[in-house]
Amino acid sequence: MSGFARRAALAAVVTLGFGMAGPAQAEKTTLVVAMSAADAGRLDPHLTSTHVDKVLLNWVFNGLVRIKPGEASPAYIEPDLAESWDSNEDATVWTFKLREGVQCHHGYGELTSEDVVYSIERAADGNRSSFSGDFSAIDDVTAVDRYTVRVALKAPVPSLLGILTNYHGGNIVCKKAAEELGENFATRPIGTGPFMFEEYKSQQYTRLVANEGYFRGAPQIKEIVYRYIPSDAARDLAFEAGEVDMIYGKQDASWIQRIQALPGAVIAVMEPTELSTIYLNMSSEPLDDIRVRKAIAHAIDRKALAQLKGGETNRPAQSVIPVANLGFSPVPLAEHDIGKAKALLAEAGFPDGVTVKAIQSTLPVLMSIMEGVQAQLRAAGINLEIIPVEHATYHSQIRDDLSQVVLYQAARFPVADVYLTNFYHSASTVGTATAITNFSHCDVADADIEAARSETDIEKQKALWTRAQERIGEAVCGVPLIETLQLYAYSDKLQLGYDLNGSLNLGPPITEKSHFVD
Amino acid sequence: MYSYVIKRLMFACVTLFAVLTLVFFLVRIVPGDPAQVILGDQASEQAVAALRARLGLDLPLHLQYWDFLSGALVGDWGRSMVTGSAVFEEVMLVLPYTLELTVVSLAFGVVVGVPLGVWAAVRRNGIVDYAIRVTSLLGLSFPAFVAAILLLMGFAIQLRWFPVISSGGDGLFDHLRGLVLPSVSLGLIMAAFITRVARSSMLEVLNQDYVRTAMAKGVPERVVIWRHSLRNALIPIVTVVGLYLGVQVGNSVLTEIVFNRPGLGKLIVGALTQRDYTMLQGLIVVYAFIIVIVNIMTDLTYGLIDPRVKYS
Repeated sequence: MSGFARRAALAAVVTLGFGMAGPAQAEKTTLVVAMSAADAGRLDPHLTSTHVDKVLLNWVFNGLVRIKPGEASPAYIEPDLAESWDSNEDATVWTFKLREGVQCHHGYGELTSEDVVYSIERAADGNRSSFSGDFSAIDDVTAVDRYTVRVALKAPVPSLLGILTNYHGGNIVCKKAAEELGENFATRPIGTGPFMFEEYKSQQYTRLVANEGYFRGAPQIKEIVYRYIPSDAARDLAFEAGEVDMIYGKQDASWIQRIQALPGAVIAVMEPTELSTIYLNMSSEPLDDIRVRKAIAHAIDRKALAQLKGGETNRPAQSVIPVANLGFSPVPLAEHDIGKAKALLAEAGFPDGVTVKAIQSTLPVLMSIMEGVQAQLRAAGINLEIIPVEHATYHSQIRDDLSQVVLYQAARFPVADVYLTNFYHSASTVGTATAITNFSHCDVADADIEAARSETDIEKQKALWTRAQERIGEAVCGVPLIETLQLYAYSDKLQLGYDLNGSLNLGPPITEKSHFVD
Repeated sequence: MYSYVIKRLMFACVTLFAVLTLVFFLVRIVPGDPAQVILGDQASEQAVAALRARLGLDLPLHLQYWDFLSGALVGDWGRSMVTGSAVFEEVMLVLPYTLELTVVSLAFGVVVGVPLGVWAAVRRNGIVDYAIRVTSLLGLSFPAFVAAILLLMGFAIQLRWFPVISSGGDGLFDHLRGLVLPSVSLGLIMAAFITRVARSSMLEVLNQDYVRTAMAKGVPERVVIWRHSLRNALIPIVTVVGLYLGVQVGNSVLTEIVFNRPGLGKLIVGALTQRDYTMLQGLIVVYAFIIVIVNIMTDLTYGLIDPRVKYS
């Protein structure tokens, strides 16, 4: 068993172990969580995609379906607001039967099909949602009756249920609240989840309280104080002093060692991974020459990078998309071979080496990876010139297509189509009107990605995704480096109420069953 | 004196206008798109463009400037681009925290620094003097964040006397308890600074003829030092305190972050990270206003200490 898996298992064992031993439930009912952020963003699930907001909103909203708490894979999809669903044969018309009696927070009334129709239409509207692209295949959403919703698609999509989980645009908002509050909905989110928004204090915290009428039962934790503590040291010290019960972890080996030494601390290492890749701008010299790109690929030692970042939470990448994605296929990536890298460079007309530039975020977690890459490339005669800029500047400039090499770390909804489309489809190329995050100007797998999107036979669909990954790997649009798991630490007095292996919203779900023990 | 104050206030208005204009353009020169930062890295280009339009960032720069200036003149500082709340309200909400921290740490600095400085001057070149000089030098050389972390480890983790999150409690006792470590952390540097200035200023005064005369006449040393000499040594000390008060407001940024206190510093760092233009504008103007007011007050204090100072 590898280091990270062992750690994840340890967290699970501790969680389950306490559950089975049945220690007395504690009087403590307030959970204090500290996140690495200066402040909240827009607390609207259809707008924000920042880590810090997603974790919190996951406790406030539901989807039509959800991924079982503690898991991150779509294989664990189960009913949430919808009790049941079915589709026609070619999966273009889906009918969802809603639970009856689900109440919106703060007296906004019962959640009905009207709310669901409104919510899906809102998520599909580019002016009100950041995720409208995910809903582009939806043709029509109708309320058949008070508790039945029909979703008609223009064409089948890889995973409609995936889009309708409690994640991003799949979160269901209450129509009356969203309409009444308008822009203010982002500072007073109203959902149907186990916890209700109660208070926000600028730069300090957001406070949630238990939704006593939650349809799965009243939460045992009665209050969550979600603190914004940007200083890593202050967050760790607050956890050590027992002032917070759960903290967001710093993704490095020394952090794990330090926190592990604290009595009563549980380290949670969980899916999804964030895949770090260096994207090579194929439209700029000398990276337009595949021999130079291949030389870079051969100069990279993925195993050494994973070790550098800490073997317990990092593993070498195996394809151009993360391993846990539906449709992942291990494609042959260039092996570490400095001799081959130098020969390829010489063949491309650069016997004395070559210089490439990268605009790079100064965020330590990213900078440390890039410095590792820089050192490895230097051994092959490739000079990676790092231009360090502050994080928001980095995001702006790489989207303006100003960087030859872009190091990007990302986790996406774990279906191959999302990652392939966002990072490798020509329509997503940065600097264009439909830009997402195709920094390499890659276009070699467009046909396969598009064909897979509407393929209803799952085996054929997987074959298309595999071919897309192979084509991208062969063209070296980017060099996948490492996959990094999510890290949290929490008090062993906190029982999550499930086995924590992962969370799509990047933070442990706090459910109606979560509680403290003495 | 009134005409002097009015003249200074008029100059202050010109300064604030210049700051207002400079800040407006400076924050926009810095690369980084507020809409992109707010929505996160997975937001579609259309959503980012829509938010940019809602925030008025798609308007020509001169129109944005006019909107901002006309609003500022009537006291409307706009709304935070991130949270949507009124900038003025947000700033006023946290301003007392920063003022409280600055004033308490200043008081700590003065109460500790002045007596130590005087003591060192009186015991010039003795063991006490050397000890105080070395300690104050250490205080000045020690990075503020290291001192803050050490204080937290000692008094919040080991001894558990004070909280790590200093804004955590309600009620006066918890409030004051939360104020101790940040104030000491910030005040230590201030105390070191004041000690050194007080020492050199006192040394100068102690060498004056009138001090020697007073001593020769048999006036008790205590009276010579604390009544006659200190008052004359105060002007450089007040100048330093005045100057340093501005620096102190700036230093509070780091203290507020490490101790997780609400305040202007934490707000400004958050606004800068998130490219919250409107919030940054409001905050910089408040900072500028504080500096201007502190400078005027310092100048006026001279007259109180030394009646020979005339305002014209």
